[in-house]
Order: sequence, then structure tokens, then C-alpha cells
Amino acid sequence: MSHQKQQRRSDPRLKQCPFCEKDAQYIDWKDYPIMKPFIDYFGNIRQRYYTGVCLKHQKMLKTAVERARFMCMLAYRK
Amino acid sequence: MPLLAPSSEDTRVYEITVLYPASISQKEEQQVLKEIEELLKEADAKLMEKDTWGKRGLAYNIGGHSEGNYAVFYYDMDPSKLKEVDEALRIIPNVLRHLIVKPPKGYQVVKFSEEYERWLKTRETDAERKRREKEEALQKRVADKAKRQVKRATEQKKDIVEKITPIEEEKLTQELEKIISDDEITL
Repeated sequence: MSHQKQQRRSDPRLKQCPFCEKDAQYIDWKDYPIMKPFIDYFGNIRQRYYTGVCLKHQKMLKTAVERARFMCMLAYRK
Repeated sequence: MPLLAPSSEDTRVYEITVLYPASISQKEEQQVLKEIEELLKEADAKLMEKDTWGKRGLAYNIGGHSEGNYAVFYYDMDPSKLKEVDEALRIIPNVLRHLIVKPPKGYQVVKFSEEYERWLKTRETDAERKRREKEEALQKRVADKAKRQVKRATEQKKDIVEKITPIEEEKLTQELEKIISDDEITL
């Protein structure tokens, strides 16, 4: 059989914050496409460890998602 | 994209979003919007931008409604009157939810009604791309399998060839032994 490539996970510490790369000052709660990748199937916010978001932007993301949840754009629990 | 700035030092820009059900008639819808505008006129607020999103599905049911309309207003108004507006918005019938947010400094208004449609289009292409990648991976796997099968077939042929020869050798030795052990042959 052909030898399989050894899969290796990248070092989580080396991940770059996707919001810092864009130099985001504010995360808009109305911007669904931006928030979508940071929410899992059940509607929970993904952990910083897995997404690589910095603490500053994670806090912004949290407020944005909570506002979107209140305004019925995102589900609290799927 | 327009940039928002308060007209004087005493006022601030607020973003007021209202969610009302999509199932109500047009008359009622206009009434709701008119009531909101009147309410803000009383509070000496100045309308700066307006963005109506149209019909959208809701993430969960509110009061039996599964579809709603969003309307986003940007008002320049006195912060002391915010509480009154907030409480009055709660009383207006046919308003499911409302949210008042203070946009940060240098906030640029994005028309999400257009942005959302654009995103829907790009998202479709994303889905297509995913499908294409999946198909490519599958084709690659099939090709690999075919290659492997060809390889195995050639190996098996070699094995058969190799297997045949030792048997013949054994037979030869057996026959030779027979000849040797045969008593009838006298030299």
C-alpha cells in the first residue's frame, strides 16, 4: 500500500489572529459572514485556542455574537 | 461609505435596530415605522442613515413568528433622552426586539441589506468550490486505486511465473530420482 503522509497539527501558539491581520477596530453584530466561522454547529462561540483569535478581539466577538443572538440573527442553542 | 459624526458636542450617534414580524400587513408595517419615527422626532433626534433589510428568517421563534423584518436607523440625539426612547420602543406593538448600540469612533455605515445579498452569491460559489474539490479528491482516489490494481496485477503475474518454475524443478528432481532408483535400467 502507498505510504500515508504523516499529518501534523500546526502549533496553536503560532496561529495569527484573523482580526488583527485585517486590523479590525470593531466587530459589527450585523455582519453575519464575519462571525460565522467562529461559531460551531450548536451556536456556541469557538474557543480562542482553536481559532487563534486574540483576547481583545475575542471580547469584541463575544459582544457582537451576544447582540446578534438577542436580535434573533444567531441561535442561542441549535 | 458614509462616516457618522455628531452635529454638536451635546449629541451622540446611536444605532437603533428594530425587528418586526414579516407576516403583518403593509399597513401595519408602515404604522410601526411611522410610530418609531414620530417617537424619535419627539426626542429631537436627527435621522442620519436608514437601512431596511427586508424579510429574513429568524434563528428561533419569537411569539410564534419565524420570519422578520429588520430596520436599522442611525440617529443623532441627546444621550439624556435615550432612556425614554428605549422604554417607548418596548411599548410599541408589533415590535419583537429592539437594540440601541453606540457605534465606536470612526464607524462607517455599511449597508448590510446589500452586503448580505452579495455574501449569499459568494457563498454559493464557495459551496460549488467545495463540491469541485470533493470531486477532484474522489477522482484522484479512483486513479490511485486503478494504478495500484495495475501494479498488483503485474506483481501477481511475476509471482505466478516464479511459482511455476520451482514446481517444475521439483518435478524434475522427482523424475530424476525415479530414473535413478529404477532397477530395470541397467547400464
